[in-house]
Amino acid sequence: MWARVVEVMLGCWLAVSPFIFRHSAEDRALWVNDLLSATVVIVLALVSFWPPLRFAHIANLAVALWLIAFGFWASPYPTPPALQNNVVAGLLLLMFAIVPNEANRPPRPWRDFKHSNRIN
Amino acid sequence: MTKAEYNISELDVNAPPWRYNPSSWRQRIPICLLAGIAFLIASYMALYQWRLIGDVWDPVFGEQSRQVLDSDVSEQMRRWFRIPDSALGALAYLGDLVFGLAGSTRRWQYRPWLVLLFGLDVIPLGIVSAVLVVMQGTVVGAWCFLCIVTAVISLLLVALAYDEVWSTLLYLKRVWAKTRKSNVVWNVFWGRASRDANEVALVA
Repeated sequence: MWARVVEVMLGCWLAVSPFIFRHSAEDRALWVNDLLSATVVIVLALVSFWPPLRFAHIANLAVALWLIAFGFWASPYPTPPALQNNVVAGLLLLMFAIVPNEANRPPRPWRDFKHSNRIN
Repeated sequence: MTKAEYNISELDVNAPPWRYNPSSWRQRIPICLLAGIAFLIASYMALYQWRLIGDVWDPVFGEQSRQVLDSDVSEQMRRWFRIPDSALGALAYLGDLVFGLAGSTRRWQYRPWLVLLFGLDVIPLGIVSAVLVVMQGTVVGAWCFLCIVTAVISLLLVALAYDEVWSTLLYLKRVWAKTRKSNVVWNVFWGRASRDANEVALVA
């Protein structure tokens, strides 16, 4: 579950990003985007710990793509630091969200296969 | 331990065509360490390109490093990707590290998608990195010591990583040869269990 823990950390980074990159009060889109993405990322990472929702982290791939797209198109080039932060956070999230929960054990179907073969 | 737990000896098997296990930690940790070093170096250059630091260290070519990092080629890449090229490189090396760490010591069989994703990150990256270094000399006319270091690491990573990727490709080919069913190969690719796949997994 280490990838889920990293996702929570990335979510925390996004949550403090408006203060680090000093979004002005008028830049409502930047505030909403950072805080909303942060919340979604953290929630999806945490609910992945509950077995029935163990694949919830896959939805973080969509958030990652959204963050990258937002960073690309929310402003003309040169991209301001706050949006470059979104691109980088999105790429990082893309990398971690794809890592399975119990990444260092064989996947569940192969574990079940092994088990049924032992019994038979 | 759950009821279906594997023990280490079951996971640590030789993967055809090799007489060793390319997914073992002994094989993967050196890749992760090298990728980690390259990640740190590329991050350092990204800090310069973001002007979070004012200079970049180069014991051999001196200020040529800055010419490379501030070159038109670099600026063009930044226009494409919105972030400095060395930041993108740093993320790619981090990807090598993360995808190198994920997966069991039998992932060449149990998680083909992960091994191929890892291979896609390592192998094209190594080639791009080497091409960019050649472009420094031919297009920019200046050299950057740390860029060359990361390019060498990239090529080392290709040499260290290709065996596992090859094992996985051959395994998928054996599954296809046995079943001739694309849906079986598809399921095996995504890590679903298959009796046929298990039978051909260790047959060289």
